[in-house]
Amino acid sequence: MNSRLAEFFQLAVRQLFRRKFRVILTIAGIAIGVAALVGTVALGEGIRTQAVDAIRTQSDLTLIEALPGAQGNILQLVTPTRAAAAGALPGVKASAPVVRGTFATRGQTYVQVVGVPADGLEDVLHPTYLRGSGFLSGSNEVVLGAALGEKLQRYEGVRIGDPLILIRRSYDAQGRPFDEETTVIPVGVMEERGDAFDQVLLMDLDLAIGLGEGESGYSGLLIRAEGPDRVFSVAEGVRGIGLSPRGSFEQIEAVNRMMDMVVIFLGIFAGLSLLVGGLMIASTMITSVYERTREIGIAMAVGASEGDVMEMILAECAVLGFIGGMAGDLLGVLFATVLNALGGPFLASRFGDAFAGLLDTEIALVTWPLLTAGLLLAVGLSLLAGLYPAWKASRLNPVEAIRSGR
Amino acid sequence: MSIPLLETRALSRHYPGGVRALDEVDLRIGKGEFVAIVGRSGSGKSTFLNIVGGLDAPSGGSVSIHGRMLDYSDRRALIAFRRQMVGFVFQQFNLIPSLTASENVEYPLLFNYRPPAERQEKARQLLAMVGLGDRASHYPGQLSGGEQQRVAIARALVADSPLILADEPTGNLDSQTSEGIFSLLQRLNRERQVTLLVVTHERELASYADRTVEMRDGRVVA
Repeated sequence: MNSRLAEFFQLAVRQLFRRKFRVILTIAGIAIGVAALVGTVALGEGIRTQAVDAIRTQSDLTLIEALPGAQGNILQLVTPTRAAAAGALPGVKASAPVVRGTFATRGQTYVQVVGVPADGLEDVLHPTYLRGSGFLSGSNEVVLGAALGEKLQRYEGVRIGDPLILIRRSYDAQGRPFDEETTVIPVGVMEERGDAFDQVLLMDLDLAIGLGEGESGYSGLLIRAEGPDRVFSVAEGVRGIGLSPRGSFEQIEAVNRMMDMVVIFLGIFAGLSLLVGGLMIASTMITSVYERTREIGIAMAVGASEGDVMEMILAECAVLGFIGGMAGDLLGVLFATVLNALGGPFLASRFGDAFAGLLDTEIALVTWPLLTAGLLLAVGLSLLAGLYPAWKASRLNPVEAIRSGR
Repeated sequence: MSIPLLETRALSRHYPGGVRALDEVDLRIGKGEFVAIVGRSGSGKSTFLNIVGGLDAPSGGSVSIHGRMLDYSDRRALIAFRRQMVGFVFQQFNLIPSLTASENVEYPLLFNYRPPAERQEKARQLLAMVGLGDRASHYPGQLSGGEQQRVAIARALVADSPLILADEPTGNLDSQTSEGIFSLLQRLNRERQVTLLVVTHERELASYADRTVEMRDGRVVA
């Protein structure tokens, strides 16, 4: 900032100091608007962060399953070429093709079977075992998801190491159904994961293909992203090669979409109060220019240009906006602090255990970018509100202004 | 005769309704002259001063400073002219109430992009010269009328403008203080060689000037 502009700001502060009460009211108007905006967005961001964190902790965020997609009306299958392309995407740590099929047990339990290479099971799914271990490549060993394992043990007495007969219903050339039986050996039960793999039976990819699955290409591709921050770019990459990505990242996308709407909607109302603050500045500055007509005329008589006059008036607006923005940020932080201190326990006491988690967390999340945005918005709006009074002041006729007696 | 500092030719100012505030005024003022313009209210004195000072534009005729004609259609040129060529002293003093005496004096230099240290030093010297060295940090509201006008005179001198225009500088002052102000103006004219064009309706005070010009109904009559 050049020194002359700095002096204009000093003059602006002194001019504002002459009209303390009116200036305080104007600053309060701006501050309330900024506080409303900061508070609203902080609340929205707090809820968003809570929801995203909950999804992250309760699900396997970096796991993506790429399914056949559609480009126009054409189905894009998961071919080996696409599988290789997806595996080579930046941010992909490991990938493995899968085939899916439906079988039944002799006890009439329907079982979703997922065929995956043995190394893919370990590299991509990162399973931990409640009992037993993973299957060997080329064997008829299988791994059960936590929920399926418990179900089969409880209702059919299936145990690790005991043969399990899977029945697949097929149809002959005349359309008559017939059943094919396959014997597999459960060698492991995975710990609960909180996703669809709790319900499935995992077997070697070649075994699943041998059972007649995957005749029209792979059912999908399991992809492990390098980290949570890479998930969304990997998902975009998968879409780019014509496949359809699925995973818990979609929940985060859905939460983000919803919270964007909520924050924008609430922000509009908060913005309206900020707009009122802006109108107050315009009103204050119009009055100020009117009251100081003679001073503006004197400034012009001693050499101030129209630009100088505009700068002087706008400097006052910027000071009003800056102080209002700072005060608004402080109020916003205060609002968030009170909400975080009292809101969580209140919700927990009203709605019980469902909100117990809020006791230790922040409902409203105030960030530096948010505070900076609040401040810049206040200053920007103040400058905008001051444009007309500043322009009007700069167009004064110096002779008439000096004669005005104001 | 050498080129005058200020020369007006057929300078006119007409207002809607046929009012002729100035009617073809021809006037030449040499460098270092102290000229008083006298006349009754409405004779066109202040209008003449405002046009010569670049605050108002004429309806016809021309104003030349150092032989160069002032272009009233060029706003930038007019601003530069007001910054560098003229200093104003008004009847109402017209100081900025929120600025101290010293800050009021240095105010014009703010628009001339002069550094603060230079401005402050110049204001200090000028306030000492007009006898207000010890009142530099006082606000206009804390000064008497005569003191305020002295501050205004110091302000008019601060940009080293060759021409000082004073419009009824003693109109709001008692006779003793008025004598003091004219005496100060005379001293400044002699010591600093500034050219002074002072409007007054008091003929006794006009006697401080080297030359008196009388205006009546927008014309120079003597």
